[in-house]
Amino acid sequence: MRIATTRFGEIDIRESDLIAMKGSILGFGHLKRFALIVHDQETPLWWLQSADDPAVAFVVINPFIVMPDYKPTLHQEDRDFLEIRKDEDLVLLAIVTVRSQPFRVTVNIRAPILVNAGNRMATQIVLEDPEYPIQYDVLDHKTRFDAWLAKPCNDSGRLVTTATSL
Amino acid sequence: MLILTRKLGESIAIGDDIKITFLDLHSKQLRIGIEAPRHVAVHRGEIYRIIQEQNQQALGSDLGLSEVWGRLTQK
Repeated sequence: MRIATTRFGEIDIRESDLIAMKGSILGFGHLKRFALIVHDQETPLWWLQSADDPAVAFVVINPFIVMPDYKPTLHQEDRDFLEIRKDEDLVLLAIVTVRSQPFRVTVNIRAPILVNAGNRMATQIVLEDPEYPIQYDVLDHKTRFDAWLAKPCNDSGRLVTTATSL
Repeated sequence: MLILTRKLGESIAIGDDIKITFLDLHSKQLRIGIEAPRHVAVHRGEIYRIIQEQNQQALGSDLGLSEVWGRLTQK
């Protein structure tokens, strides 16, 4: 199928590669189908592009890259909701906010998107841990990327809808 | 909006599996207990709103991801 996007033009993807938002991205409850797009293999920043609204694309990152000791408490009910049976199917994506002037990048590690990589269902969850901020400032914690840079690994790769250069 | 008057200790049922109980009232603070299935998201109104706004704000950037990543990792 082809989906229209504001950033990348029309892109061709397999319907089975879409991620189904079984819950919602808060404030975007009407958008139910997304494509995970790796635009540049060298960065762990990916696009979560809506297949329903061309203008809606979130920048996302694996939160463990920005905070290696991230230990979110997930409820069994959250796993059940997405039918997550195996730990290796559990993927978290955190939404990144980029501001250009002045340059500032924050990651929402309080409300990550929980994904079942097996059945490709997802929802945004809100953690109860108050120590995980909605605006985790990445520039304040740059050294934390060192682990990833030493051994780059896009470990949620099988979720990716398309990795072609667009 | 449906408006009901309840006494402390009384509750309100919403559907089959959501129950809200009014526990305590201290000056202007009201403590309520909420029983709901886990898949029903229950949060303080303000955190919900803040996350919605953050999601909205996240859509704003026009910088390319390679550039963003380059600036984040430059020493």
